[in-house]
Amino acid sequence: MLAFVTFALIVLFFTVLVLIGKTNELSEDIAGKGMNYDAKSKWNGYMLLGFVIAFFISIVYQVKLLAPIMIPKSASYHGEKTDNLFYVTLFFMTIVFILTQFALFYFAYRYNQSKNKKAYFYSHNNKLEVIWTVIPAIVLAVLVVMGMRVWFQIFDVESRDKNALVVEVTAKQFQWMARYPGADGKFGHRILDTAHITPTNELGIDWTDPNSHDDFWSDKLVFIKGKPVLVKLGALDVIHSFYLPHFRVKMDCVPGIPTQFYFTPKYTTEEMRDYLKTLPWWNTINPETGEPRWKTFKYELACTEICGRSHYGMQKEVVVVKDQAEYDEWMKKQSPIYVAPKAEGTATDSTAAPATAATDSTSKETAKTGKPVAELVKK
Amino acid sequence: MSAHTTTTADVHGHVDTDHIHGHDHHHEPTWMETYIFSTDHKTIAKQFLITGMFWGIVGGLLSVLFRLQLGWPNDTFPFLETFLGKWAEGGKISNEFYLAMVTMHGTILVFFVLTGGLSGTFANLLIPYQIGARDMASGFINMLSYWFFFAASIVLFTSFFVQTGPASGGWTAYPPLNGMRDIAINKGSGLGFDLWALAMTFFIISSLLGGLNYVATILNLRTKGMGMMKLPLTIWAFMFTAILGILSFPALLAGVALLEFDRLLGTSFYLNMIVVNGHLLDYRGGSPILFQHLFWFLGHPEVYIIILPAMGIVSEVLSVHSRKPIFGYRAMVVSIMAIVVISFLVWAHHMFVTGLNPNLAAVFVLFTLLIAVPSAIKVFNWIGTIWKGSIRLTVPMLFAIGFVSMFISGGLTGLMLGNSPIDIQLHDTYFVVAHFHIVMGVAAFFGMFAGVYHWFPRFYGRFMNDTLGYIHFYVTLIGGYAIFFPMHFMTGLPRRYYTFANFETFNNFNFLTQFISVAAIVVFLAQLIFVVNFFYSIFKGRKVDVERTEGEHTYGNPWEGTTLEWTAPIERIHGNWAGEIPSVYRWPYDYSVNDKPYISQNTPLAPGEVEHT
Repeated sequence: MLAFVTFALIVLFFTVLVLIGKTNELSEDIAGKGMNYDAKSKWNGYMLLGFVIAFFISIVYQVKLLAPIMIPKSASYHGEKTDNLFYVTLFFMTIVFILTQFALFYFAYRYNQSKNKKAYFYSHNNKLEVIWTVIPAIVLAVLVVMGMRVWFQIFDVESRDKNALVVEVTAKQFQWMARYPGADGKFGHRILDTAHITPTNELGIDWTDPNSHDDFWSDKLVFIKGKPVLVKLGALDVIHSFYLPHFRVKMDCVPGIPTQFYFTPKYTTEEMRDYLKTLPWWNTINPETGEPRWKTFKYELACTEICGRSHYGMQKEVVVVKDQAEYDEWMKKQSPIYVAPKAEGTATDSTAAPATAATDSTSKETAKTGKPVAELVKK
Repeated sequence: MSAHTTTTADVHGHVDTDHIHGHDHHHEPTWMETYIFSTDHKTIAKQFLITGMFWGIVGGLLSVLFRLQLGWPNDTFPFLETFLGKWAEGGKISNEFYLAMVTMHGTILVFFVLTGGLSGTFANLLIPYQIGARDMASGFINMLSYWFFFAASIVLFTSFFVQTGPASGGWTAYPPLNGMRDIAINKGSGLGFDLWALAMTFFIISSLLGGLNYVATILNLRTKGMGMMKLPLTIWAFMFTAILGILSFPALLAGVALLEFDRLLGTSFYLNMIVVNGHLLDYRGGSPILFQHLFWFLGHPEVYIIILPAMGIVSEVLSVHSRKPIFGYRAMVVSIMAIVVISFLVWAHHMFVTGLNPNLAAVFVLFTLLIAVPSAIKVFNWIGTIWKGSIRLTVPMLFAIGFVSMFISGGLTGLMLGNSPIDIQLHDTYFVVAHFHIVMGVAAFFGMFAGVYHWFPRFYGRFMNDTLGYIHFYVTLIGGYAIFFPMHFMTGLPRRYYTFANFETFNNFNFLTQFISVAAIVVFLAQLIFVVNFFYSIFKGRKVDVERTEGEHTYGNPWEGTTLEWTAPIERIHGNWAGEIPSVYRWPYDYSVNDKPYISQNTPLAPGEVEHT
């Protein structure tokens, strides 16, 4: 019944609209103004002028309302540069935007037929056209140069700190697997073949490699303030994308092709909270937690490449600690993956972690059965 | 008129003037031949337009449905279960169907509405009319072009009804998500995706058949005197659109074919070392990134395939209704050419964060920002066109102005997205959604509406209703900005998310997503006003004023335009012109010159008049 009433109302609405339209048309015809656009141009001229003014006012209002709740300032060093570039571009854009939008709507108002009866035959002006070709070209060239300077700083492999904290993040439907190298700072090898990759060892970690023994999974990503991080990325099933909104970091995780991103966190989680505490909006109460928003602020990792039904659920917390000492303390509390394999039911899985520590020689032997990731994907 | 016409460029032997009048040695076209399997460009244009409108409603409706989920992620809508059944159990759209709707919305609007519906309609209607030809170079191939489009439509529509649902891995169809026929990974990667691929194959065939025809017609069938530099900008735009399509669509066809090989035959073009549930699958040596290259090699030119016809239409409409020549005709032609050339060199700007070689990215940044130059020239020239005009603010004119406004707003944000370091943050977020919806979604629709309102009298000999048109325009202009402008502030919020509730970082915009959803629903309803107006006006619209009658045909020029389509009889006959085809003596933009409101292209130069060059 409700559906029928709704449907009837919609039909009625459109019928009324059509009748209004037809009535207007007939009354124009009676007045003999069928093709006369004078009156229409007049009121539409005011409408367009009104629109552009209202549009500009609404943009100011939107900035006021929405800018405070946007993702806050960059928490990484390179992110400050990309943000800066964003604002430089925004500056040029705003000028062009205001000038062209205003000119467009103002001319439509100023030169509408009711105000200007005779059009001015003016087909071209080469000088003017050269000017408005060259000026954008120069501005764009400046933006390209600025952009590329930042771009090559971000991806400058040579100047990278060799002692950077390395974290390996592997994505799969629908979670992030973050592996830390442990105290030795070295990851255990991975061997990508059907013998090593098993439901309990999806990465194909070679347990005969002693470096693997202190590797650990982490339920959150932990970085150190001021210490460069190299995130080594991969994916098991489909493409995912590693996205740290606060750090201006994004890189796809592609099955079969390793990728990476190198950056340096600038603010610890605590420092960021302290900064947000100074902003009015962040002091408002979050109805869900009942606390001021800055208090529950946290860095997060998200997926930005469509990866299936639970794409929206691939969340992981990111924490930036203040120094190496705090990091080491956290690391001590983590338990290595290596002890876990006992639960694997290793009967059919000869390469799963042996009970005794493997020597170097056995490690090499086992390694023959498969190739390290890097070799496989390099071809 | 026949006084200055010396030749007829007959397309088919049987389309000369005698036979139009039904002389007995050829059979009269049957009802089937006239309305269904027609080879007449005007009928085919209508077929494309009406099919496009159907898809526009479907695509728009999908966006309304997923906006319900985005705006009210915690609420249920019981009526949805009535219509969608298992896809919306308990009145809540499932996350799988949400992605399917997003995917189909993209596919439908990009390809079936704004490529098929826009190019198909106006290239078909205007090319023969404006160059002075009786029909397309090959009416039969033209007919095939539509029927492949129809077949594509049927297949795509069918995919909504298969058990695992339509394709749901994004309109970009990236493997491996769409590369394996495993519904555990993605439901839409089952039969739904195969149907998607089949539909796209038919669509590409349709597009190629149409495109070849457009180019051949424009190059070969121009009437006497119609030099290339006397072509209206619409025709330039359609020709370069067709060239773009001919050169880029095959890359997608190849890409999709290889994707189906991976899916059906177990090849590994795009797959390598895939691990599912802890089992290493047998795929070796492919690259998912290869597909992205193939896809975007079409995908980026595709956005120009969408926007160029709209630009052409808008150039024409702005000039006619400003009663002024287009400003900088040559610059406009050259900038179309520049856009076409550069558009082939920018595709990887969709792939800055795929792990692409940073040096390679630099090249693509350069060309991406470079393409803004011809785009800027066009904008400045449009504004120059209306400056000091005597502007008739008709409905098509308003839509043309709206197009320029949208193109500016959406185009400018491209400067941020095209600059790779900024794109790191913006890629795949709502900022991108806002950008491309404004610049190629709403803008292209505005161009299309400008075209429909402007050439409706050419289609049906009647006008569309003004009052409804004005309502349609203002609701769409204000509503379009209300939907997409605030999205810029959702910078950094990932797109294609079913809900933001899992993230502290993204969960602050609930009131805004609701506002956007309401605006989207209002704008969608406003489009229905257009649809109602369209069909109502076919039968009841105000008739075009008859200026003169010759024999059994009447003539009128509803907008006082100079181009050839208005020299043909209002009645729309097979072969377009009742007598001989008019010859052309002047460029198409002689408005407000020599103390005349306009001078048609087929008017010979007055004694002593210098031809405009």
